Amino acid sequence: MKKLIALVLSLALCMMAASVLADIVICQNKVEITAAMQDFAKLYTEKTGVGVKVITGGGSSDYNTVLKAEMASGREPDIWVIEGPTGYELWKDKIADMTGEEWTKYTAAAYMDGDKVVGFPVAVEGYGLAYNADILAKAGIDPKTLTNVDAYKAAFEKLDSMKSELGLDMVVSMVAGTVPGMTWVTGLHNFNVYLTLGNARNDTTYIDQVLAGKVDEARFHEYCQYVDLLFKYSTQDMLLNGTQDAQLAAFANGKAAFYHQGNWMDPSLVQLNPSFEIAYAPHAFLHEDTDGILVNPPSWYVVNANGNKDEAIAYLNYLATSEDGADYMVNKAAMVPAFTNVTLTPSTPLSKSVMEWNAAGKTYDWQQYKLPDGFGMGTLGPIYELLAQQAIDVDTFEIMMKDAIAGIAK
Amino acid sequence: MTSKQRRQLTEVLFLLPTIIAFIMVIIIPFIYGIFYSFTDWQGTGTYSKMVGFENYKVIFTEPAFLHSFLKTLEFTVINIITVNVVAFIISLLVTSEIRGRNVYRAGFFVPNLIGGIVLGLIWQFIFSSILPAVGQAIHWDLLSKSLLTSKDTVMFTMVTVNTWQYAGYIMLIYVAAIQNISKSVLEAAEVDGAKYWTRITRIQIPLMANAFTISLFLTLTNSFKMYDVNVALTNGGPVGVFMNKPVQSSELLALNIYQTAFKYNNMAQGQAKAVLFFVVLTVFSIIQVSYNKSKEVEA
Repeated sequence: MKKLIALVLSLALCMMAASVLADIVICQNKVEITAAMQDFAKLYTEKTGVGVKVITGGGSSDYNTVLKAEMASGREPDIWVIEGPTGYELWKDKIADMTGEEWTKYTAAAYMDGDKVVGFPVAVEGYGLAYNADILAKAGIDPKTLTNVDAYKAAFEKLDSMKSELGLDMVVSMVAGTVPGMTWVTGLHNFNVYLTLGNARNDTTYIDQVLAGKVDEARFHEYCQYVDLLFKYSTQDMLLNGTQDAQLAAFANGKAAFYHQGNWMDPSLVQLNPSFEIAYAPHAFLHEDTDGILVNPPSWYVVNANGNKDEAIAYLNYLATSEDGADYMVNKAAMVPAFTNVTLTPSTPLSKSVMEWNAAGKTYDWQQYKLPDGFGMGTLGPIYELLAQQAIDVDTFEIMMKDAIAGIAK
Repeated sequence: MTSKQRRQLTEVLFLLPTIIAFIMVIIIPFIYGIFYSFTDWQGTGTYSKMVGFENYKVIFTEPAFLHSFLKTLEFTVINIITVNVVAFIISLLVTSEIRGRNVYRAGFFVPNLIGGIVLGLIWQFIFSSILPAVGQAIHWDLLSKSLLTSKDTVMFTMVTVNTWQYAGYIMLIYVAAIQNISKSVLEAAEVDGAKYWTRITRIQIPLMANAFTISLFLTLTNSFKMYDVNVALTNGGPVGVFMNKPVQSSELLALNIYQTAFKYNNMAQGQAKAVLFFVVLTVFSIIQVSYNKSKEVEA
């Protein structure tokens, strides 16, 4: 009897240990795919016996804060996400060199430091103004014509005048509030439209100016007018109070014709079963035509050189080259993979649209992550909110934005 | 070794684990913290140079920090008053003869057991979704917009949530103090014809002075250090304008320090703010405690 109890106890202990101990710890920033990622991790554990634990920060909580806390606590993750040069510079000393690893053969989007391959592209992501094709058709607007701000102005006006007919609460589902933590939409993604729209992918003219504390006056003026336009055709309640879920719900339930978010919202979008066609139109804020959406690997996985390096790289290789990995990226997480060996096409609407724009080569770069830490969300974000509160007008908005940008150079 | 010496040695040995732990987790980080506030440390690796009082100079000219400081004082004053008034009233209620007073005691205390983050998110939902829906249904303008999105009402929401959470805890201290007052004093007063109000103001409150000392101290430090409810409920928002700069209108000091250190990755400056925060809080607490101590009486 005693032996039996001992056996049961030790078995229980073993099982507990197996479930608690993880060989690879991943710290990542996409709340939307946490469940899919955990399922893939479980599958990986079943196939290889290597335990994987996923820690998530992001959405309304701040990923970088979570990561810094994990690092500071001494439980350094084996794989984590960097979002560009700021993240890379910050953790450079800890990041492993992955040059020549198997996955690097299948992508052109790896994060490079000179000739060294250091980052595994998580996906390709894109954003523009997603539109409800049914509503646009009913209002007689051809989305193909939405390539300059004058076309948008006319379209917004027309939709606004037909609101009750079309069952709309607002024309654009847009968020800008600090209380629900949405300043990344304005201070980072929307601001990037100013930085790169119309430019070649590696052109850094405007970000270099901003980092030197300056803006291109004429272009910036047009940009500010565009922000004002978007805000005017949203509702104040959505702008200030709207969470990521509320913003999505308004669009998915047909209460808004346009939606300012990227294809990372697909997993949540399909859960709401939208009954209409969806695709992206460009963030065309200039009077001249700009026909393209903003596409980039938004983030890369990097591997901890001091951690469980070989296991971590093996995991990434499996992710990029196996059928399970492709299935997870495309079908489960609804991402657009950055790998040429993946032949599956996404079935979800936003990702599909991103893939089409990407295949047509009509894309602009993401450069918002070259801004200093906290600048986009913490310094610019509040100014957008002031405009949304109507506490300032668009001219004051322009002055305050320039003032904040001038502060970078100090 | 005499028995006295041996005794002293034993005492020291028994204290040693606690002292070591205290030095490791409080004293050393504290000294490090003060030291880093004079450097340009960025939080990873080591600092590159000493900058003297530069970090302190910068924070005194930063609108966001000065604004947070004033807001923290405002929040602390309002919150101390509401928490203590509410706690005192409900402690009178649950020590009176009403039925089910034990249920009330437990009920008032329970919010204190919920973590600040959870509580902040629950109340955020109440303020941003439920109350506006009620307000719109009964056509009451004040409620029909979320109270969290106006800088005039956001302070009220934080005080409400903190009072709801903390009054039950302070109530327990008052209840203990009220029960400690000897029945004979109160009975004597009643026989002499003292009314209920007179008994409270002239007998109960003076005899509970030590409970006020501790309650005011706890609410002072708790309000001043307010962080979890702040971050979960309002995230510092909405935005206001202060000294011609946009500032987060409900960002209290602890949150401001955290944002400086982690969001802007400016560890040394965050540390300088934290040192200043410590000094100010210590001074306020000493003033408050010594004032309250002077009011305490023995029965």
